[in-house]
Amino acid sequence: MMIPTLTTERLTLRAPRLSDFAAHAAFKASPRAGFVGGISTEAEAWNHLCALIGQWQLRGYGRWMVAETATDRPMGVVGIHHPLDWPEAEIGWTVYADGEGKGYAYEAAKAARSYAYDTLGWSTIASFVNPDNTRSVTLARRMGCRPDGQHMHAVYGPLHIWRHPSPSELAA
Amino acid sequence: MTARFVDTTVLKTDRLTLRMPVLADWPAHRAFSMSDAAAPLGGPFDERSAWRMFAGLAGHWALHGYGWFAMQADEGVVGVCGLHFPPTHSDLEIGWVTYAPAQRKGYATEAARAALDWAWGWTDADRIVSFIDRDNTASQSVARRLGATCDGEAARHDPLCEVWVHERVAA
Repeated sequence: MMIPTLTTERLTLRAPRLSDFAAHAAFKASPRAGFVGGISTEAEAWNHLCALIGQWQLRGYGRWMVAETATDRPMGVVGIHHPLDWPEAEIGWTVYADGEGKGYAYEAAKAARSYAYDTLGWSTIASFVNPDNTRSVTLARRMGCRPDGQHMHAVYGPLHIWRHPSPSELAA
Repeated sequence: MTARFVDTTVLKTDRLTLRMPVLADWPAHRAFSMSDAAAPLGGPFDERSAWRMFAGLAGHWALHGYGWFAMQADEGVVGVCGLHFPPTHSDLEIGWVTYAPAQRKGYATEAARAALDWAWGWTDADRIVSFIDRDNTASQSVARRLGATCDGEAARHDPLCEVWVHERVAA
């Protein structure tokens, strides 16, 4: 598999696998998916998982399945999300119910941000957050992000742009 | 043109190279997906849905080890063709789409024949199917040319589609 693998203290960010689909479909069928496109059928969840992998092929970067290293159980999807109707790439995070409350999104998002800066060589990146998604707003703040305007999305409505600290700010 | 992240399988035919979809193929795929020509697949689709389906063609490779190819001809990318097996489907499916400017040249038949030959090499299945809309006479013709047969059975996941069966031929 050519999608790179990242490791953190507790997590492995790796290419999604067929065995991850049940967890992804369960998430997409739950109210937890409300901020990320709404509740999906199994067929829609399949297309969604295929598409997030395919973005790697089309753009050269993408999102990983975040697995607990100790168990290899899938805990969510984190990485560089860049759909067609986003004005720029973002660090996106989605945590399944099993991964909630453990700081996994923070740990994985930091690894994804480092990948964007250190491996891709980018100088800036944002995260797009629905202002009603208080957990996600909290994570953006914990990542050191600052408000940087909003993106009016045709389907999701206004998304707040949270600008991550630059590589030099992180190094300071 | 080499794939970077998902797979590197390439198949060659007389006129076509079947390779991973790339971003440069998107304008042609978008034009097809957002037009009435996509009606047999449930379209026309909005741009978001079209992008998701296009990205998914490549992403499927990571989950199953096979997926869809872009059909590269001398005149450009002329369509997509490949194998997929979503969890809601009953069988491994081979499918094809020829973009409007390149239709009626036999590209889909040529691509699907190569993809089928390739698939028989790795699948244990005795049949590969094509789910084809009852009104999609162009695709039905391709299926017939490939030797597939249809007894009118409806697809489990979509009653508007009939099941066309490609049977394994003993070597």
